[in-house]
Amino acid sequence: MAVAARTRSTLAATGRAAADPGIEAPWFARIPTGVWLVGAVLLTMPAYANNFVLFQVFGWSFILGIIALSLMFLAGYGGMVSLIQMTVAGLAGYMVAILGPSGTEQISLGLSWWIYLPVALAVATLFGTLVGTLAVRTEGIYTIMITLAIASAFFYFTRQNYTIFNGYNGFTLVRPPDLFGVDWRQPVPFYYLSLACAALCYAAVVYVARAPFGLALQGIRDNARRMAALGYNVTAHRILAYGFASVLAAVGGVLLVWQNGQIAPGTAGIPAVIDILVIAVVGGLRRPIGPFIGALIYVVLSSFAPDILTAFGLEPDRFKLIVGLGFLAAVFFSPDGVLGLWDRWQARRARRPDPLTGKVP
Amino acid sequence: MSVLDSPAPSSRLASVGATAALELRGVTRMFGALAAIADVSLTVRPGERRAVLGSNGAGKTTLFNCITGDILPTSGTVRLFGEDVTRFPPYERIRRGLRRTYQISLLFPGLSVADSVYLACRGVSRWRYSLLRPRTGDPLLMRTAELIEAVHLTPARDRLVSELSYGQQRQLEIALALAGAPRLILFDEPAAGLSPAERRELVEILTTLPRHIGFVIIEHDMDVALRVAESVTMLHNGRVFKEGAPDEIEDDPEVQALYLGGAHG
Amino acid sequence: MTGFVQRRPIATLAIAVVVAFFAWLVLAPWPPAVTEVMGPKRVFLSAILSGVTLGALYFLVASGFTLIFGLMRNVNLAHGSLYLLGGYIGFEVADRTGSWLLAFPIVFVITALIGIVLQYVVFRRMEGEELRQTLVTIGLSIVLADLMLAIWGGRSYQILTPDFLSGPMELPLVTAVRPNGDFVYLRYPRVRIWILAAAIVLGIAMWLVINRTRIGMLIRAGVDDREMLAASGLPVQAVFVAVFAFGAGLAGIAGIVGGTFQSLSPGEDTRFLLASLVVVIVGGMGSITGAALGALIVGLTEQIGLTYAPTYSVVFTFLLMAAVLAFRPQGLMGRRL
Repeated sequence: MAVAARTRSTLAATGRAAADPGIEAPWFARIPTGVWLVGAVLLTMPAYANNFVLFQVFGWSFILGIIALSLMFLAGYGGMVSLIQMTVAGLAGYMVAILGPSGTEQISLGLSWWIYLPVALAVATLFGTLVGTLAVRTEGIYTIMITLAIASAFFYFTRQNYTIFNGYNGFTLVRPPDLFGVDWRQPVPFYYLSLACAALCYAAVVYVARAPFGLALQGIRDNARRMAALGYNVTAHRILAYGFASVLAAVGGVLLVWQNGQIAPGTAGIPAVIDILVIAVVGGLRRPIGPFIGALIYVVLSSFAPDILTAFGLEPDRFKLIVGLGFLAAVFFSPDGVLGLWDRWQARRARRPDPLTGKVP
Repeated sequence: MSVLDSPAPSSRLASVGATAALELRGVTRMFGALAAIADVSLTVRPGERRAVLGSNGAGKTTLFNCITGDILPTSGTVRLFGEDVTRFPPYERIRRGLRRTYQISLLFPGLSVADSVYLACRGVSRWRYSLLRPRTGDPLLMRTAELIEAVHLTPARDRLVSELSYGQQRQLEIALALAGAPRLILFDEPAAGLSPAERRELVEILTTLPRHIGFVIIEHDMDVALRVAESVTMLHNGRVFKEGAPDEIEDDPEVQALYLGGAHG
Repeated sequence: MTGFVQRRPIATLAIAVVVAFFAWLVLAPWPPAVTEVMGPKRVFLSAILSGVTLGALYFLVASGFTLIFGLMRNVNLAHGSLYLLGGYIGFEVADRTGSWLLAFPIVFVITALIGIVLQYVVFRRMEGEELRQTLVTIGLSIVLADLMLAIWGGRSYQILTPDFLSGPMELPLVTAVRPNGDFVYLRYPRVRIWILAAAIVLGIAMWLVINRTRIGMLIRAGVDDREMLAASGLPVQAVFVAVFAFGAGLAGIAGIVGGTFQSLSPGEDTRFLLASLVVVIVGGMGSITGAALGALIVGLTEQIGLTYAPTYSVVFTFLLMAAVLAFRPQGLMGRRL
């Protein structure tokens, strides 16, 4: 399966503008209309959506989308299918619960947000980078196996360890800080918080994909040996890519623990790890919007699965069956996920004969 | 060489002048019990253009791989511009001014021509890990445009590499090798599979390279090889068999019997 | 072997010392000083034996996984599901017929057939697309896990040990010396010892088949060079199907074994998939000896860890894997990647 993410050659556009300055449009004018529309809908969402939709459907979609986005960055641009991203997110969530205040007072240190937030992000990023350092020593499907093995080791460890991770019970009553006098766990504030984080992460990936770092990563995906022959330290580059992706995953993890209000080993258990892969693949690994589409589909399905299942005369708790079959369908019929379907539909529409002339463009 | 342009004490000048661009001493590479190259010693002066000839299996590509660090020699030393790089990874050698093209086109199918060349320029500059996009007027973008122009690919600059014709991919290979500030380029059969017109274009590109850029070229097409090279090294069964000027090698009866007769007779 | 001794004399010496020390710990009656540090010898011996027998179980699961990978470069992440499915079916057969032994051929045939279906429907269609094949097996494992949950529910099952294998047996291993000079011998569950013996026999048989027969030559040729195998005009597809069926069948049988000396419940599929992953990462992909060595080391690490540092036993397994990845990414017995 080709998980090659392609980006339009905006570098080329910049280059041309360099030769002929003055024709380059301002950056905001280059954003397509579709993005403006989606942005407007998302920003005004609280005006017409209920709290469940805001908090549970969109809030959760943004969070899962951010974590899946970090996988998309590694897989789509770097050719490395890493299953460690959910674990990185989980670790960030755990750090928030351990360093900050929580209901498990004998462990939680109750530090203030400006200490625990950066430390949580840094620890999770460091962990993800270290895992990357191990994973990049091998290639291809080995990456999946190694990251899956490490992810499961983390899961079993958190379940076993009571001194730091509080074992089975994990941490409850983890609340976001009351910054600016706002209770960020209320549906509307949380909706905007997760939307802002998702938009930032999305923009960061889109931007970096065209920066030297992201371009070189795509070069390494296409042909690692040739990149070494252009002066790139392929191993270091891949490890740094893990680092970058870990920052995204860690942001997702912090939001996740705030949204759930609790964290336990199952948060980063094997099913959760696999779900992130499912989300990214079903959405599409070729463009950064894919993971968000996948996450929305996943969340909608899981929120309304009982209704859907009973409508088809099945038991209401067979949600995983739908997820598995949907994933299989995506891998079998549209390896590029929903985005791939969209692209194909657009291509077919473009090839449709012109109604006036009857010619195929 | 800018070092040579600057005024320097005569002793230092002499030592710099004596520094070879590339110096191999007794380089051997074994694959199992088989020596792909055995005890190869070779010196290329700065700016020198050298052709390496030999039949298939003579060890030419292995020699290149040992020079670039794609594989490590079993024994012997490789020196680039006076520095022992025998154990260096490829990217360290590239950053010292070495470049190489590949026999089988190994490019980036998912990137555009402009992106590929830009990456090649960026790879030997600082900020290769930069998370910031190049700004308008970035000198590397200018340089990218120049290089694309130099290999006649300007009309195809925004196309994906996977959409290029074979000849265009070979031209792109050369652009990648010229990026940055190369001092020594290894060309691995650049003319293979090209049409006569494309070959003429290639010879023109090679002969008009700036004088300070030396190169070593592996080429089966003797016309191309002997027109661009000033000196020739013949490899046979992994060993250096003959060295000399192009016309000497061409006229050498042993060489003719072994190679020219065999391959082109 | 001799090559390794010549190339790495110091490593060889270190390994020899560790092995000799272990052998001494296992065989000799412990002096009081050792007992003081390590606790009673009985505890140590049963940790070792649990480790070795768990290793035998891991080997049964992982050898099929590694064979399939070695030949087809396919990471079958549904391997754990085959294990659990085999266990459940084995439970049903043993429960209904009352015959533990009968469960083995039935489960082997059923899981092998599933393997063949997988090979035909999935892998042959996507030949050469390693990542996509792997993703399909992930999807299958999700679906299978949910179907098994629907059929067998969330409770845990144990397959009853047959009478002729139940109860403890005395092993010629001294745990302590009585004041009157009599040796006390270790008593250990008979079924585990027999399963260990069976795994060893099976491992040797597999090694012999792979290294000493024509079909083994085909398989090895496939591991080393698939194109050459394809070009040789040999029945490649038949070999692929046979190996896949055998590997899947082994996983199913391992499910019965696991269900007998541990238990079967949802989640065991991933647990054994991960055990297989760690075993082959440590031992080296595609190598039977590697799977055996990896299974032994992982089983021992896990059980010794559980006995002496229960909170951190997972960490030991993980550190072991990380160390192998850091210093020998191709695995202990693996070829260079």
